[in-house]
Amino acid sequence: MRDSPTGRELKIARINIYHLYPEHLNLNGDRGNILALCERARWHGLAVNLVPVQPGETIDFGACDLLFMGGGGDAEQNMAAAELKKRRRDMQQAIEAGMVILATGGSYQLFGHYYTTLRGERMPGLELMDLYTEAGGKRLTGNIVVSCGLWDPPRTLVGFENHAGRTCLGKGVQPLGRVLHGHGNNGSDKTEGAVYRHAIGSYMHGPLLPKNPWLTDYLLAKALAYRGQTFTFKELDQSFEEQAHQTAVRLAGSRLHRWHARRA
Amino acid sequence: MGKNRSGEMPTTGKSQKLKIISSVWLGKAMMALTRLLGRGGTTLPGRAALRLYPGLLPYLAGHLRHGSLLVTGTNGKTTTAALLTGILRKAGYRCIYNQSGSNMAWGVTSSLIGASSWGGKLPGDLAVMEVDEGAFPALVKSLHPRGMVLTNIFSDQLDRYGEIDAIQKAIGKGLEAAGEGSFQVINADDPSLAGIEGGSRGERWYFGLELELAPERSENEAGHSQPCPRCRQKLHYDQRFLAHLGRYRCPACGFKRPAPDVKLVGCSTRRGATALELLVRGEPLRTLFPLIGTYNLYNALAAATAAAAMGVPAAEIKTGLESAAPSFGRMERLALKGRSVLMALVKNAAGANAVLPTVQEQQPEIHLLAAINDKIADGTDVSWLWDVDFERLAAVAERIKGLTVTGLRVWDLAVRLKYAGLAQETIRVETNFKQAFLDALERTPPGATLFVMPNYTAMLALRRLLNDMGARQPYWEGA
Repeated sequence: MRDSPTGRELKIARINIYHLYPEHLNLNGDRGNILALCERARWHGLAVNLVPVQPGETIDFGACDLLFMGGGGDAEQNMAAAELKKRRRDMQQAIEAGMVILATGGSYQLFGHYYTTLRGERMPGLELMDLYTEAGGKRLTGNIVVSCGLWDPPRTLVGFENHAGRTCLGKGVQPLGRVLHGHGNNGSDKTEGAVYRHAIGSYMHGPLLPKNPWLTDYLLAKALAYRGQTFTFKELDQSFEEQAHQTAVRLAGSRLHRWHARRA
Repeated sequence: MGKNRSGEMPTTGKSQKLKIISSVWLGKAMMALTRLLGRGGTTLPGRAALRLYPGLLPYLAGHLRHGSLLVTGTNGKTTTAALLTGILRKAGYRCIYNQSGSNMAWGVTSSLIGASSWGGKLPGDLAVMEVDEGAFPALVKSLHPRGMVLTNIFSDQLDRYGEIDAIQKAIGKGLEAAGEGSFQVINADDPSLAGIEGGSRGERWYFGLELELAPERSENEAGHSQPCPRCRQKLHYDQRFLAHLGRYRCPACGFKRPAPDVKLVGCSTRRGATALELLVRGEPLRTLFPLIGTYNLYNALAAATAAAAMGVPAAEIKTGLESAAPSFGRMERLALKGRSVLMALVKNAAGANAVLPTVQEQQPEIHLLAAINDKIADGTDVSWLWDVDFERLAAVAERIKGLTVTGLRVWDLAVRLKYAGLAQETIRVETNFKQAFLDALERTPPGATLFVMPNYTAMLALRRLLNDMGARQPYWEGA
């Protein structure tokens, strides 16, 4: 029992999770993602420092390891856009350096070049990811299953989507997944979400992480790696999560559900 | 739009009369047919009849001597409409009420056709109608209601993007369309309702809570905030009663909660009933009300205020509320196999958050069954489970002696409870609905209460099961 190994083991791995506007960007149970990150981190034995960022407060990109942004209504989304625009350069630097971001719904759209409304107004985005969004008439709604290449072999991710925007990806980003059932980014090219460095955007809203525990662990691992922390993850009992995942896969694949999703 | 204005007896030509009669007959025939097919479809007959004669709705409503009252909002429509009907019947009105729960324009037409004679005459002098927010403006235009009751606006259904804005606009349009001499009953505690302008022609009655303490503790209010309807800044709350309902003001533009005309100044819960103390434009009213939960305080207030606006004296409002039977499926108590079953329908996060404090209060032990389906009538997105403060259950985990979950999305519910802090091994997952109920009941000691939280279609299935098992309603039955 000599010096360094013990010394390192005693040092608890710590992770700073920032939650942007928890009260405003919280449509469709987006808070579930934060619960999943915090609970699983705790079960793995990680120390979590959760920092809710309220309107008017700024994100400390020097300290933030993992940033979560949920979806909001138009008013809330515009507020977030105005605030983040001021911090665009810091945010870009952090992304390049490997900070982890998960942005869902409207926040995902915000990451692109622009969003065009049905009336043709073009709202500029943060230009953090090579993608753009145009409003479509019919909402793309329903359970969705994608095959995600963050792992080899790929694993499935399940969620629920409900969006009017059609997002098209540029060459600078990778899709988060290939659509097996559902609509995805635009309903036509079979892509869902986008990945650039360790920033992930997705239309799978609400509780994406609880039913995809491997994605939760992936985000936690990347956030630790970002700060150069080494950590061995535990094998957790995730039978409930896997059952919920399988239920969603079955439902999305059922003929009845696909029929409803087409009509939505 | 309709050619006839409500309140006047419609004048009709011969060919028109024929169209009216045939559309009523068509509607009635289709109703019989759908019932025969066991589909219980409540919109199709109305839809077909309106196709044949688009002016049917104003024609039928034209027979109502005292006009109609529309109840709209996200939560509490059914309970409020049922309570209001109860009070008005006690007060001597021959009141028609769309009980079927289908509150879109076609559904409202269906229920009026159902109530009318084969000759197209309605057997009442007043109609209380629960209507969907989306159908509200069109129904105001065609029915020219005497009064409109607005309960609350919550993010509710599948599509919540920009939903609150859209609902506010729809309700505003409806209020604009209302005629002279109509009245509006509005929840003062809901900023998204109080902020709606328009309809200045009618008399406005506000209702709200004026209690020292919120009726139930609410710990997690994150995600329940709504921006100021006037200037979009963050509202400041001096007091919160339920989610975004409370005493609020906007530090930026000065918008604040209007002073209520009818206020609840005291309440206490005992044995499944609530003692209420109201002030109706200054006049005190005390009553024992057979429902519990903060939601039902608002429902009682909305109904009492609407009745007061109709000119019903306080004494009759009191007896009306006391004899009110809880409307279909909201919190109700049943007796079965020596156990008491307390069932509370939860349609969304706000509804569930209103029910959980009551679950928490169960003494000395908590026995709970929760059932979540994701059929079309429930909403196919169960994401809202993550907006429910199930953490409240974890806080009383040592008192929870039975926790069973079931329904088509049972695993989503199980995961949610696990992440709320309940130990995985204490959550009994039973995918078979009937088995889940029987197990949960079996595990509840005789004399104790099994609390059941189903969402809509799960509740329907449960009611069938309870009926088959011969459950009785021990309280306020037959009122």
